[in-house]
Amino acid sequence: MGAQQRVYKQRIRSAQGMKKIFKAKEMVAASRIAKAHARVEATTPYAEALTRAIGSVATHSTEISHPFLDSERHETGRVGILMITADRGMTGPYSHNVIRAAEQLANTLRDEGKTPVMYVVGLKGESYYRFRNRPPHRAWTPYKENEIPELGREIASVLTDDLLTEDPEVHLDEMYVVGTRFESRFLQRTTSVRMVPMGLVEAGAEQDAPTYPLYEFVPDADAVIEELLPRYIRSRITNILLQAMASEHASTQRAMKTATDNAQTQIDKFTRLANSARQAEITQEITEIVGGADALSGSGRTER
Amino acid sequence: MSALEVTFVTADRTVWTGQASQVVVPAIDGSMGILPQMQPTLAILGDGVVRIHDLDGHVDERSVSGGFVSVDSDVVTIGVDDAEAQAPHADRI
Repeated sequence: MGAQQRVYKQRIRSAQGMKKIFKAKEMVAASRIAKAHARVEATTPYAEALTRAIGSVATHSTEISHPFLDSERHETGRVGILMITADRGMTGPYSHNVIRAAEQLANTLRDEGKTPVMYVVGLKGESYYRFRNRPPHRAWTPYKENEIPELGREIASVLTDDLLTEDPEVHLDEMYVVGTRFESRFLQRTTSVRMVPMGLVEAGAEQDAPTYPLYEFVPDADAVIEELLPRYIRSRITNILLQAMASEHASTQRAMKTATDNAQTQIDKFTRLANSARQAEITQEITEIVGGADALSGSGRTER
Repeated sequence: MSALEVTFVTADRTVWTGQASQVVVPAIDGSMGILPQMQPTLAILGDGVVRIHDLDGHVDERSVSGGFVSVDSDVVTIGVDDAEAQAPHADRI
């Protein structure tokens, strides 16, 4: 076998090996999307119950005050950005989109004279900042998929503490979350949302805003809102984390599908080249034999 | 007598849903019983046991720590962080 052919065969084998890996990753991701999406859905009843409860407090008493609702929070100019990226690679543009959105947001905030403070989830985002010599304020990595509710709780408690503390070194005025919303397994959007200060939608702003009955609050409205708002933040963060996880799987699946297709294209290409190399070799051998035979017959010798 | 529509959810799943005749929750200022026709209430929960008596008389008990409960025209929504199943008391009705 010629050297040319051997090289092509080698390339084909390596592409075949990679294709198997990509295919396996694709199938793993595909099977996890549904599960991850189901977990997102499972948090919905709690989030709805919480939203209803907060809505009813808000409509009941117009005088509620809470640090998270105060739209004029200008103490230190520090703004927290919670960025949710992947722990692993092979997720296509998933992590980079989030990083880009977070950087954009940070630049906008810097233009407004604020100081962005990074809180990062996931190895990809953490290493992005570490390699640029500005390590994030807090990083949670690596994380496990089945421990996301606990992770959300921890992140929420850290952020709530930093938002409420009096210490000017750590106090945050505002808080944003940059993550990926899972719309469907074909569509995920990178989103930046402001979490604190929260804007309560004015009653009557929407035509069919639900009306809430006059509640009795135990022990009282202020205590209730004090308890509910941190819970709301926690529930939102957990929900966003779960959506990000589902999006990561969807993105991985898509990236790996493309990679599998590309590997197949590569295999086809090298198979063609290998075939033509084999054909060329055969042709050359025939030419050599015929040429040799011609040379023999032309020499006038009758015996070999 | 009408029944209560109970939805009992934790942060990441639904624990119990259905009709009940009575619900007892550990409100922050003491245990609170909820029966049909109760006035709309929104209460913060402390540590303790949530007890749901369903229409057949079965009792479901879960220990919780912190959360909230809202009661509104016989629709009861309980939201907590974690609900751990208590050892079942089969004979207690």
